[in-house]
Amino acid sequence: MAVLAAEDVSKSYGETVALDGVSLSVDEGEVFALVGPNGAGKTTLVRALTGTIDAEGHVELFGGDPGDVNRERIGLLPQEFDPPARLTPRELLAYYGGLYDDHRPVAELLDEVGVADAAETHYENLSGGQKRRTCVAAALVNDPDLLVIDEPTTGIDPAGRRQLWDLLGELAASGTTILLTTHYMAEAEHLADRVGLLADGAVVAVDTPGALVATHGGESLLIVEGVTDREAVDRLDRDAQLVDGRLTVRNVDPVDVGGIVEALESAGVGYDSLTWREPDLEDVYLSLAGGAEGTDADGVGSREPRGPVAPGGERP
Amino acid sequence: MYATTRAGWYSFLRRRTAVFFTFFFPAIIVVIFGALVQTQPTDGGLFTEPTGWYVAGYIGVVVLFTPLSRVSSEVSRHREGGQFEKLTTTPLQRWEWLLSQTVVNTAIIGLASLLLLALLLGATGADLALSAETLLVVPFVVLGVATFCAVGSILGSVVSSQDGVIAASNGLAIPLLFLSEAFVPADLLPEWLPLGLSPLTYFTRGVRAVTFDSASATSSVLGVSAPAPYADLGVLAALTVVLFVLASVALPRAD
Repeated sequence: MAVLAAEDVSKSYGETVALDGVSLSVDEGEVFALVGPNGAGKTTLVRALTGTIDAEGHVELFGGDPGDVNRERIGLLPQEFDPPARLTPRELLAYYGGLYDDHRPVAELLDEVGVADAAETHYENLSGGQKRRTCVAAALVNDPDLLVIDEPTTGIDPAGRRQLWDLLGELAASGTTILLTTHYMAEAEHLADRVGLLADGAVVAVDTPGALVATHGGESLLIVEGVTDREAVDRLDRDAQLVDGRLTVRNVDPVDVGGIVEALESAGVGYDSLTWREPDLEDVYLSLAGGAEGTDADGVGSREPRGPVAPGGERP
Repeated sequence: MYATTRAGWYSFLRRRTAVFFTFFFPAIIVVIFGALVQTQPTDGGLFTEPTGWYVAGYIGVVVLFTPLSRVSSEVSRHREGGQFEKLTTTPLQRWEWLLSQTVVNTAIIGLASLLLLALLLGATGADLALSAETLLVVPFVVLGVATFCAVGSILGSVVSSQDGVIAASNGLAIPLLFLSEAFVPADLLPEWLPLGLSPLTYFTRGVRAVTFDSASATSSVLGVSAPAPYADLGVLAALTVVLFVLASVALPRAD
């Protein structure tokens, strides 16, 4: 059963088309991640789905109109959320919890999101990560059936991000339906059952992370840095390209890496580092959403190779 | 609604400058206007009425300015911080949010009004005509605060930035202050001025009727003479309801 469904949803702000005929559905107990460049329409879609803005098309929440839904069942974290600055995390959670008939124990939530130590600090004096975690807790305070979180881990350090991933994973395991937007492909890949890629206000792909990677991710790559011997490269007899000292070998299975290394060494080819990686969701993103965010600070467009490093190489 | 009222009250108390100036405001009003009034010029013009006549104006200043600026700024802050988007998905209704703001402001302005009255009586020796009807000041203050909370909320909902909200709030409040019989009697103002359109007019007329004028004072409502202060209280109540409904509808769901 679809907890959340959108059919041909469109929204424009003057001449700007924010959403252009978006259709998708999120099933009960599913974790659905919306990814896409800035301005792709993710936040507008979240607002249309939660009924905080009006949009053309048809939206259903728990099988009914978003305006008629029992609000006890929804937890929302808006993207740019700045709660009352002079309240402490404990008071903020008591405040938001107090808006519901029933809410989770505040101390338990503070502990779960990792801000128990700062529970009595005014929100305005918290670090960026503590603020965001407090806001995530505010979205969880009513123990919602549907959790909608717009970029939940933006501004949170890697350890804090992992902690929230674990928390969201536990919620998903307990049956909470989660719709999240994110700039972190690793986050979508780690958490989501399905991923929807939004670009220019339209959904360009929806599937499981694995299926998206298989369909749109491209080839596995072996990247060898510091290679100068072009003739030796030609003797490799592989689909390879040498540009500015970087040798890129395509379609390399992990079991073939050792053979290629041996071939290079027996041919006397020197190199500085060697990296193998398989395609992932970031490649899908770059393939389908283009280079709209080429220098994004979140690393959206600045692809770094990952994977095992062969002997003699150094980790990028 | 209790949760949002409590949060609003704590937020106010912890903004020390806001607390200071909220209560400094009535004090400075008494000092400035009290000094002017006590010059008692004899050849006509402004500030020639007895001291007690201005008490309604002093309280009117606090009832007008404080909720107007506080609620318009609060709405603007909520918009910029995505708080309405969050609240829209909770069981809290928009009218409940506005009512909680009204409750907080009524408490603040009630205290400020008491301070103002104490200062007036102590510092200027204002001659008040106290009677059982003087207690009607309480509903006048409550309705006045609710009215200008609603007006402030509408301003905050319509104007898109905090800077713009402050400018709009001042741009509305200052003309209202001088066109509502707060400090200038109606007979000194041009007849064509639509004093009856200002909610503050009914506030100042009504409060003046229970703190200064005799019980036989009358008030003109829609051209009909009626006994003050009840006619003024009725009109103010009607305006409060209309403006409160409009303000609740105007509150944004998201920005």
